[in-house]
Parts: sequence; structure tokens; C-alpha cells
Amino acid sequence: MAKALVALLKQSFPSAVLETHSQHGDDTVVVDPGQWHELAAFLKSSPAADMSMLMDLTAVDFPDRDPRFEVVAHFYSLSKGHRLRMKARVGDPAGTHVHIPSICDLWASANWMEREAWDLFGVVFDGHPDLRRILLYPEFEGHPLRKDYDAHKIQPLVEYRDVPSIDKIAPFRSDEGMSFGRQTHDNVPSADAPDPEIFPDSAN
Amino acid sequence: MEPLDEELTQAEIELPADPMIVNMGPAHPAMHGTVRTVVELTGEVIVKADVQVGYLHRGFEKMCERGTWTQVYPYVDRCNYISPMLNNVGFSLACEKMLGIEVPERCQWYRMALGELARMSDHLTCDGAMAMELGAFTPFLWMIKAREMIWDIMEEESGARLTHSFGRVGGMAAPPTDGFKETARATVDQILKVLEEVERLLLGNRIFLDRLEGIGIVSPEDAISLGWTGPCLRASGVPYDIRKAHPYMRYGDVEFDVPVGSTGDCFDRFMVRIDEMKQCARIITQCLERMADSGPVNVDDPRVMLPPKEDVYNTIEGTIRHFKIVMEGLKIPAGEVYSYTEAGNGELGFYLVSDGSGTPYRVRIRPPCFLVTSGLERVITGQMVADVVPCFGSLNMIGGECDR
Amino acid sequence: MPSFKLDDREIPFEPGDTIIRAAQRAGVDIPHYCWHAGLSVAANCRMCLVEIMPPPGRPALALAVLAWDEAKGAYVDQKKPKLQPACQMQVTDGLDVRNQSSAHVERARSAVQELLLLNHPVDCPICDQAGECRLQDYWLEHQATAKRMHDEPVHKPKGVVFGPTIVYDAERCIVCTRCVRFCDEVAKDPVLALRERGNLNEITVAPGRQLDHPYTLMTEFVCPVGALTAIDFRFKARVWFLRSARTVCQGCATGCNAFLDYDPRDGKVHRHRPRENQAVNKYWMCDEGMLDYHRVETGRVLRAAVDREATTVGAALDRAAKALKGIAPERLAVVLSAQHSSEDNFALLTIARDLLGCTNFFIGGKPNGQGDQVLRHPDKNPNTRGVTWLAGSSSPRSMQDLSAAATMNEFTVVLALGSETRELADAGPLGGVKERIVVTTHEGPLSRLATVLLPAASWAECDGTYVNARGLSQESEQAIGPKGDSRPAWKLLAGLAVRLGRDLGWRKLADVRGAMGAEAPPPSLPGSNRPSAGASS
Repeated sequence: MAKALVALLKQSFPSAVLETHSQHGDDTVVVDPGQWHELAAFLKSSPAADMSMLMDLTAVDFPDRDPRFEVVAHFYSLSKGHRLRMKARVGDPAGTHVHIPSICDLWASANWMEREAWDLFGVVFDGHPDLRRILLYPEFEGHPLRKDYDAHKIQPLVEYRDVPSIDKIAPFRSDEGMSFGRQTHDNVPSADAPDPEIFPDSAN
Repeated sequence: MEPLDEELTQAEIELPADPMIVNMGPAHPAMHGTVRTVVELTGEVIVKADVQVGYLHRGFEKMCERGTWTQVYPYVDRCNYISPMLNNVGFSLACEKMLGIEVPERCQWYRMALGELARMSDHLTCDGAMAMELGAFTPFLWMIKAREMIWDIMEEESGARLTHSFGRVGGMAAPPTDGFKETARATVDQILKVLEEVERLLLGNRIFLDRLEGIGIVSPEDAISLGWTGPCLRASGVPYDIRKAHPYMRYGDVEFDVPVGSTGDCFDRFMVRIDEMKQCARIITQCLERMADSGPVNVDDPRVMLPPKEDVYNTIEGTIRHFKIVMEGLKIPAGEVYSYTEAGNGELGFYLVSDGSGTPYRVRIRPPCFLVTSGLERVITGQMVADVVPCFGSLNMIGGECDR
Repeated sequence: MPSFKLDDREIPFEPGDTIIRAAQRAGVDIPHYCWHAGLSVAANCRMCLVEIMPPPGRPALALAVLAWDEAKGAYVDQKKPKLQPACQMQVTDGLDVRNQSSAHVERARSAVQELLLLNHPVDCPICDQAGECRLQDYWLEHQATAKRMHDEPVHKPKGVVFGPTIVYDAERCIVCTRCVRFCDEVAKDPVLALRERGNLNEITVAPGRQLDHPYTLMTEFVCPVGALTAIDFRFKARVWFLRSARTVCQGCATGCNAFLDYDPRDGKVHRHRPRENQAVNKYWMCDEGMLDYHRVETGRVLRAAVDREATTVGAALDRAAKALKGIAPERLAVVLSAQHSSEDNFALLTIARDLLGCTNFFIGGKPNGQGDQVLRHPDKNPNTRGVTWLAGSSSPRSMQDLSAAATMNEFTVVLALGSETRELADAGPLGGVKERIVVTTHEGPLSRLATVLLPAASWAECDGTYVNARGLSQESEQAIGPKGDSRPAWKLLAGLAVRLGRDLGWRKLADVRGAMGAEAPPPSLPGSNRPSAGASS
């Protein structure tokens, strides 16, 4: 549907479009994260694209890849009725340095969706005016939709609500509802874990 | 009468001139759903607002990555719990798109009929609650009574009133019951009658109109930029309805109109929903007419559908088929898809990533009201405190869907 | 290299390869039951049938068949290509083979699968194979139709005890004869055979015999369905709940590569099974090794003790440090262990040499046992070679020497890793040494004499490297978390070093490995064999 658009992007930004594919009728361009904003601006302003709406913006974590994250945006043109998926691969395997330009200034809808991607994946959107957590609270530790975030991880109690002598326990056992097919979620304690009994005085 | 407090000096009695910060929510009687709005007031006028969502965040997208594809249904049910059937169908369509299968025609009509009933229940709730929050309690009760009738049908069909988990990849959990068509027709007629009465009660009411008209105006440009879809976008005059723009299932074969507002104020959003319910009734009638009384509802594909129980207990082939689908989950080919349907609040998108296993790699739910709620700040800034109530009500923020 | 075409994909092969073997090497799995890479070809299951296209201009090898014609309502004469078993068919250069792309092949496989399930009992819910059963996998991939026969199936014996380790269910058996061929060809004890014909065909044990050679559990391992089940594993766990760690068998110096299957929910180990490694164990393991996993649970030392009184690990380490502080090097004896990993022994050696100046090294471990020509090695320790290499010039002496020296009252302190004393039958004289510090996973002669006992984590509970009899250094992965108070031995020893006034900075296994690599890379070893997932084929 948006094949012509993909060709146009390739022609206008030969160096930025890294790969393209089309699956189930969705046309996809994978682009250089450095030119994320330029491409988005082009999609919005170019009369041929006329992407009036940023429908969706999210991320996917592939911990085995480098760059580790895919930031995925879905655009829609009200006038042309076509859609385009634009992806950029960002972030180091450790997930400590994940940056991509914000497109908040182009579509107001990017504001909350970028905050959500930051909240759940830890993707930093450079230039975002107000990059706070949105679904979780400020004291939350980690980014839960990352694959290396244990689904049964327990968050520390927030200072203010701390009640002495009451432990926070998980409502379910860690394996509750675990799928049979999934082979990755192990909760075996590492033999390399810090051990204050063995090394009492020194830093673990 | 004595003064209240003789110690007060004149200066203290005066209203403070500094902006005042007021918390509305997360548990405020006028904020249905759990959302907190921190507003900065000058007098009664809101000069700044910060909308904070997330109070209902339950980590659905993470949980989806732990079960099978079929086990996602209960989660999508609990996103928009006012119209869960639309979510069920939306997710089914996304999975079916990846599998490259199309459900039998009878199932498509069935899904549409149930979906439109769910949309009616969604709009009834929204408009009813909106009226109630403005003091009109009677229409609320009437509309909730109408919603109960829809939920009775849902209960009859699926066994559950609220969270049906009735969709399946490749069909529905059960075929339509014998009395479905009859009850649905009767219910639709009654709901139309309720709507008529509600309109007569509200649309001539000066207070109701004054509190909605010209309040919370959103321009079409703003609505588009905010990523609004559904009734809220259409109220601003943008006729974007996925059922018309990109027909899925059999929406291309039925006749219906897309109601569009003109000013984009709260009243338009209210009326778009009322009018849409009438269109829903039209669609439902056509679906019921064209749905066959017999025939398969589910695709006959051993990769995705469970076998009949007598096969499971008596033949090894049936046991194996059951075992494979239950223990390993149905397998969806590796790849990605963005599938979108028109849900109660607008475009409900599912961005699915599969690694080819029986467990989803990523289920991204694009909730329409997340983006609609993100516009609340723009809608209420500059309005009076009292206007927050109708503005918020007209956006139909569903906490479960917004926060997931 | 010559090549042939499989579904229009060019696949190279080595002369003498069969189609299935060449395809497997290229990563294409042709469905099969009876074929096993480590056994001879039987070609009796017919699942691997493929269509071989005739050379250009030549007619296809075809069979005349009668086919039902729906339109005419009658049977008509038709030609059908004669399919060939991929497991038996040798590849020739330029051969054009159709696997999935041939409708004939798919139909034949569906028919074969239907036949195999014809009399199969509805056993999946109570069958140990469920979840890793070929019948289940191939039904979905190649048949996917409901049952057409509604007669009573043929009933055959169930729960037949073949021997001390194996139970046979004839109804589930597809008579692929993998188990028969295994006993003949690998175990060299032809104790299994077939009896009866047709649908009464079943496996039987030779009259007067039991299935009791040292490799009986391999018959269960090669069984592609749930016909042979191991008594050890029967009804204990459902396989889809289990996770696998890539380990090295601890039973003898062969160092077979294995999977240790455990349940992550309760940290219980449930079975050991072979992991393919052509350089070591090929596809197999012996019964001893397969059952060796029980040692994770039994005979363990899980609590620290000082003078037989249970105490904390920290307190025991303090006491050990007190005993070792300022000791004259010639009064200290250090026992290395062939039962422990190279990292553990390296940690002990480093502390003994660098911190304590010790020169008296001895080597402990299990006494020799039975060996054979297949896999079993007489040396029942997984790391004898590794310890000898690590000790190098310190050339550890035998436990007899230690015993003799102890009798002469030469030592004040014995610091021992492991609790086994090899051929030394009577460890009594060691009791004469004033302080006996033992760091060990399991109970043994030394742990019973210990004045300070420290619990070490077993191979299932921590990563480690083991050097087998042929000098291959192999890594074993952690499966479950350390049991009781146990810690990896290197960690206990690093804690001891801290208490002796010198922090070696070892907090993670990687630190120890780093130090080990920096001191002397193993020159004689043919490189580390990184564990790789092996198919059970």
C-alpha cells in the first residue's frame, strides 16, 4: 500500500534507510536512529506522505542483539489512507545508553507514548520536554518490559509507605501462570551472588 | 450572627492571590476511573494541568509475554472492560492476520454483531456517566438498565457478563446460541427506545446543554496531532472511522453512517456517541439478517483450534492435538504485524511480534484512550474547575485500557 | 565438495553420506523415527520417505496404483512415484530430492503417521514421553487429521519390566528397533529382539535374560516414543516443566557431556541425559553416569561444623583461619581433589602456595572402579588430569603417603578439598593430625574426621571446568542454586584467604578463571570445548 512511499523515502534519504520489508501488508522501513527526527518530519510535511497522525510508538527489546532495542512508530495519513511502520535500532547490549531523538514537536501524541517507552523500556528520547515515568511511579526501579526484568521481581517499598515489621510478599508464587513453552524465565540464584557471610568486611 | 473566628485579620480573610494547586483524583467522585489531575488554579480558572495516569497499571504487556497466545484473551478483556468483546475480536484478527487465516463468514457476522453490541454498551456507559456526573441521575439508570440487557446477551452467549474471554484465534469459544438473534433484535429495539427517552430528557434541559455546549473545544488539528481516534476525533469533525476507512470483517458489506460533530465540544462528543449507537443498531440488524443459522464458526485448522472433547478423550489424534495446543500453545509464525480495529474509544491497535513459538514475544496494545486522555490537559486548561467533570466524562477514559 | 538438491536448495555432502545425514548437517531435519545417527540404518519406519526426481529425459520410477476419482465415482489407474527412504539412500552428485515440496511425500508421511497411531493408546496424559514425543510432533507437522478407524485397537502388554531400570509398554511401541540396534551395536549385548509379526509385533528380552548391561538407560533415551520408560524417571516430572543445564558428567574421567534437567520451581534435579559431543561421548552415556545426578541430593555436606558441632560458614572459616595462621609450611598438608573443578583446585593451590608456603601436596578422589571399551573409565574422578596439570611442579603425592606421614606425626594441619581418599582404605591415621579442615560437597572418610567442615556446592550448583582423561577441558553449567549453606569451594577458599589477611579479590567465578588463565594457559590441552546444544537426534 505504501510501497511508493518506501521508495520515496529510499530516494530522499538513501543513507538513512537501512532496510525495508513488507509483511502482512505492513510496509516497514528500518532507519538510522540519528536521522529519526528528519525522517519523521519529512513524513509529516511531504505532500506525498502526508502522515498526519502518529498512531503508535513503542519499543521492543531484543537482548541478544546489538543494538538492543527497536523503537517502532506507526504513521497514518488521514488524507491518503496509507500507513507506514518506521523502526530504528538503538541501544547497547547492557541497555545503559539508549538514545533516540524525540518527535514530540511534530505530533503531540508522541509526548505520552515516548514517556511510556521510557518508562517501560528505558529508551531516552532526546529533546522530550517532560520525560517522566507515566504508568509507573517515580521510585520504580528498572524498566519492566525489558526481557531481563524478571516478571516476578519485587520492587522495594517506597519510603513514605514503609511500615516497620511488615514484609512485602508477592501475592503469587513465582511460577504461577508460567507458560510451558517459554524456556527463558529461570529464577535460579547465581552462585556468583554477593555473599556477606564469606566476605564480611570487604566490599562484595 | 457572630463572626466565625474573631482572631482572623482582614488580610487573612481575603482570597489568596497566588495560584492554588488542587489535586483532583486519583479517587475523586467526579473522576470515574482512577486518574489524578493536578490543576493549578487562578480563582476558578485552570491555568495549568498535569494529568497523571498509571494507577491501574497491571503490567499486562509483560504478562502476555509469559503465557500462550490464547492466554492473552483475559488480559485484553480487562483492558476496556466496558466493551471487552471488541478487544477480543481485535486481538483475534491480529493473530489471524499473522497466521494468514480467515474465519468462516458466519463467525464474522457473529463477531460483528457482538462487537456492535459491545460498542453500544461502551457508549451507553460513557454517556450515562457523563449525565450522572452533571446531576442527571435518571438517564444514567436508564442507560445502565439498557447496558444490563446487552450484558444479559453476552452472558447468554459467553457465560460471563463482563470479562468474556470469548474470542479465540480462528473463531469464537462457542457458536451463537439458538435464541441469539431473537434476543438481540428485541434488545436493540428496547435500547433505541431508551435512547429516545434519554434524548427527550436531556436535550431540552437547559442546565445540561449549558454545561456541555462550547466547553472543552478541541480543534480538528489538535485532535489529529494528539492521535485522537474514535468518537472524540469524529466529534471534532474528522470523519475517520476504521470500519469505513479500512473495512475489516464484513463492515464493507453493511450500510451505516459515520456521525460527525462540528465544534468538537463536550456536547458533540456526547451526541456523536448517541448517534453512533443508532448506527450500531443498524449494523446489528443487518448482521443478524445475514448471519447463517447453521454452519461452522471456527476455522478447521488443527494448528489453532482445539478438537472436540469426545475426540480428546477417545482418540490419540485428538489427545495429541489438544496436548499440542494446550501445553505448547498455538504457534504463530515469526514476524510482526500491526492490526487495527475500531473499538469503543477509537483505533485499538495490536502490534504483535512473534518469534515463532507458542508464546508472544511482544504484545503491544495501542489503547485509544491513552492518547485521548493525553489530550485532557489541553482540553481543560483555560476552563473552570467545574468543567473538568464534563470534559473528562466526554473523553471516556477507561483506566484499564489506558494503564494496561 | 559435491552437492545435491533438496527442495531446490543446494546441499553439499561427503562421499558415502545418506540423504538424511547430509540434510541434518545442513540443518534440515527430515522426519524420522527409526534412524539414529549413532546406529545402523533400519529403514523400517518409512517416515523419512522422499521423492527422487529422475535424471532429465528419463522416466520416473513409478508404481501403478488405483486411485478414487470423485468425479467419475470410480477407481482409475494412476501412476505414483516410488518414494525412497532418505536414511538409506546414498547421495550422488546432482541428485534432485524433494522433501517438503512433494505432495506425494507429504501424503505418504501422513499415511505412515496415521498407521503408527492406529493402535496407539490414549496415553499422553500419563506418558512420561509426552512433551518430547515424536508421535506428537509429527502428528501436528505431517498428519493433522482426526482418527478414521473406530474399531477397538489391538491390545498388547503394558508395563513389562525389562530389567532393573526399564519398563516397556508394547502398545506405545512403534517397533522402530532403535533399542534393539543399540544393544547390538553400541552396548554389544544383544539382549533385545522382536517377536510376532504385523500389529502384534513387539520388543522382547532374550529368554532367561534381563536388560541389565551397563547402558540400559540408553535404550530409553533412543526410544522416540514412550514405549521404553526409565524406572528412575517414571511419573516423577512432566518434561515441559523442566529446564536443562549443560553439564559434564561427574561419574568418571571420560567426562561425558550431559544435560542436567531440573525443575526451576523447586530447584530439584530430575534426570541426566547425554548431550552430543563427537569428541567425547558421541551420543551416549552409561547408566552409572545417568543415575549419578542423585548425588546432588544424597550424601551431601550442607552445614558447616566445627568439632562436629554445627555452626555458620563464617564461624567455621574463622576457626580454619585461626588454625592456619602462622603455621610452619612443613607442618601443613594440603589435599587436592580430583572430584572438584579446576577452579576449586586452583583456588586451593594458590592459597596453599602463595599464602601459606605449603609444599606438601596430596591428591584425593574416589578409588578406581570398573571400566569398559565403550565409555566407562576406570578412574571414577572427573578431574584427575586437571588437578595433576594444575599442581604441576608441586607433584601431589598419594593419600597413602599422607597417611604414612600422619602416622609419623609430621603435620599439624591438613587442609583438604573433597572427602574421598582414593585407594586408602583406612583414613584413621589422619585423625592423629591436630586440625583437619575439609571443604567438601559430599560425605566421605575425610569429612567424618574433620574438625572444621565447610560445605561446598556440587557441580549442579555452580559453574566449573573439568579436564577429562583425554585432556579435554570442558565447562559445566550451573543448574540449580546452592543447597543448604553450601557455597562454591573457590568462594569458601577465597573467604579463607581474606581471613588469612590477604584478599585475592575473587568474588565471581570469572575472577578465578581470570587468575587461572593469567598464571599458565594449558599448553597440552586441545582447547576448551564450549558446551553446545546437542540434539538427541
